[in-house]
Amino acid sequence: MLAVFLILAVVASAAAEEPERLRIVSLNPSLTEILLSLDAADTLVGVDDYSARQQPSVAELPRVGGLFSPNLEAIVALEPDAVVVVPAAQQRDLGERLEQLGIRVVSLPNHRLEEVLTSITELGALVDRDQAAAARVAVIRRAVAESRSATAEAPHPRVVMVIQRDPLYVVGGGSYLHELLDVAGARNIAAGFSEAYPRVGLEWLLAAAPDVILDASPDAAQAEAYWSRWPSLPAVRANRIVVLSASAWRPGPFLEQSLQLLADALRPTELRVAP
Amino acid sequence: MKVLSPARVAFSLAMLGSLLALALLLAVVSGASALPLSEVWRALIGDDATPAAADIVLRVRLPRALLGMAVGASLAVAGVLFQALLRNPLADPFVLGVSGGAALGGILVLALGSSFGLGYAAVPPAAFAGATLTTLLLYAVAGVRGHVSSTHLLLTGVVFNAFASAAIVFLASISGLTESSNIFLWLIGSLSAIRAEVTGWVVFFLVAGLACALPMARGLNLLALGEESAQQLGIDVERQKRLLLLATSFMVGAAVSVAGLIGFVGLIIPHLLRLVLGPDHRLLVPAAALGGAVFLVVCDTAARTLPGGRELPVGAITAVAGGPLFLWLLRRQQRRVFAP
Repeated sequence: MLAVFLILAVVASAAAEEPERLRIVSLNPSLTEILLSLDAADTLVGVDDYSARQQPSVAELPRVGGLFSPNLEAIVALEPDAVVVVPAAQQRDLGERLEQLGIRVVSLPNHRLEEVLTSITELGALVDRDQAAAARVAVIRRAVAESRSATAEAPHPRVVMVIQRDPLYVVGGGSYLHELLDVAGARNIAAGFSEAYPRVGLEWLLAAAPDVILDASPDAAQAEAYWSRWPSLPAVRANRIVVLSASAWRPGPFLEQSLQLLADALRPTELRVAP
Repeated sequence: MKVLSPARVAFSLAMLGSLLALALLLAVVSGASALPLSEVWRALIGDDATPAAADIVLRVRLPRALLGMAVGASLAVAGVLFQALLRNPLADPFVLGVSGGAALGGILVLALGSSFGLGYAAVPPAAFAGATLTTLLLYAVAGVRGHVSSTHLLLTGVVFNAFASAAIVFLASISGLTESSNIFLWLIGSLSAIRAEVTGWVVFFLVAGLACALPMARGLNLLALGEESAQQLGIDVERQKRLLLLATSFMVGAAVSVAGLIGFVGLIIPHLLRLVLGPDHRLLVPAAALGGAVFLVVCDTAARTLPGGRELPVGAITAVAGGPLFLWLLRRQQRRVFAP
């Protein structure tokens, strides 16, 4: 009897609420950024630790853990209609368990450029902002097309994009960053690696002799001191080490900005005035 | 048991020394970039090699081989000494928790250092501080009135290692994506952070450790009879143990702080050499230095000579090569013991 009353009370209170608002938990900072860019901040009811760290506007939302430690109970307690994730081995069977609990899981891989664009479209459909999503995708596609035609005739420098120096990790052929480099007119010397971010040896880099080194590793302050130790690299001799901030390589909604950063970094520095 | 004559010592060490020379040669001529031998030679004698070839040979392959030698020698000697001091064949350089302490020190900096403005360069000193603190802690906990019991030391070390791994998992879970991948990489152990200045430190502690261990080698032989017997035979067991444990801990601390955790070198090389050369520490200690150096240099050369320029952490290679080899050794020893 009491149970029936309780259920009725819950149903009644739910019905009395304002117009239905989708409740989403995001477990990935790039997906969070996409939702924010689609003006869907009001749908977010919980985020992972990295989203909270990167996006000040969601820092106050309930947290549901980090990449290695998403907390199932914390997610369920937020009563989400959907949980958006990037498939990752670290989260083990989290998706399956959420689905068993009747929670919709939207799983969006983001290694390739097309995958990121699909994420934007799918999230747009999820939060009913299809037009905003289509506009965002169109902006990125236009930037890609323009960059491609602008660099078609220009020389293609041989480039490596370093995401960590010690040990050495670079952008390989499997990453959307490789595609952006290609679009920006660069020839990625690590294109032959099929994975997104292969670990390579310093010897490989010295032998491959890139014309430009794009350094996007976390400790940017050390970049110059590190590379100046290897003057046999053409990029070092020609002073073509470009330090990029980590935000340049987020597979989020503003890839046209990442592309612009890469294009700027690759622009020849012939106009540099000698001291 | 074979008698240890000066001639046999000289012969064994000369053989191992030649192996080491071969390993060094192999390390210098092989790598991911397929330099022709002529170019390697020109770089070595300083005769007009291309700048890239000179950098590859003199500043990538050679320093890395030297660091590999120093780290491999330190780990293998530490393995021999720990096995003798603790009278436990399973003891390896990491058994006393020194490695756990070093890892914890280094990883504290990897995980939280960026908030204090500490970069990657602060990791080796922090790791070494961690190793030193752990050693002191071990003595404080396991020692009673100047006496350090081997069983207590072992237990304390094992428990501390377990504590350190739990703390590392905790730090990895609360830190960011780049930090946690750094932690993971550091735990596997690699020689890719080649800086000439760190090799000097590892060599310094290796030489100090050898200088302590070699004069005491006879005492270590007697220790195999049991601590009491050794005492009765005129060995100041406590003093020896204290000194050697300290020297060995520093040696391991220095090696781990520059190269991370490289497993199996300190376990397999002592057992292999004992099988071939017999258990006399007067030969075993210097032989372990040479043998450990050979093993790690060869493994590291394999780690950085994969086709296509990919690189593996050397710890993965030593484990893959060392695990089966150790099991094989164990089978052989068992057969020998139980043979009719």
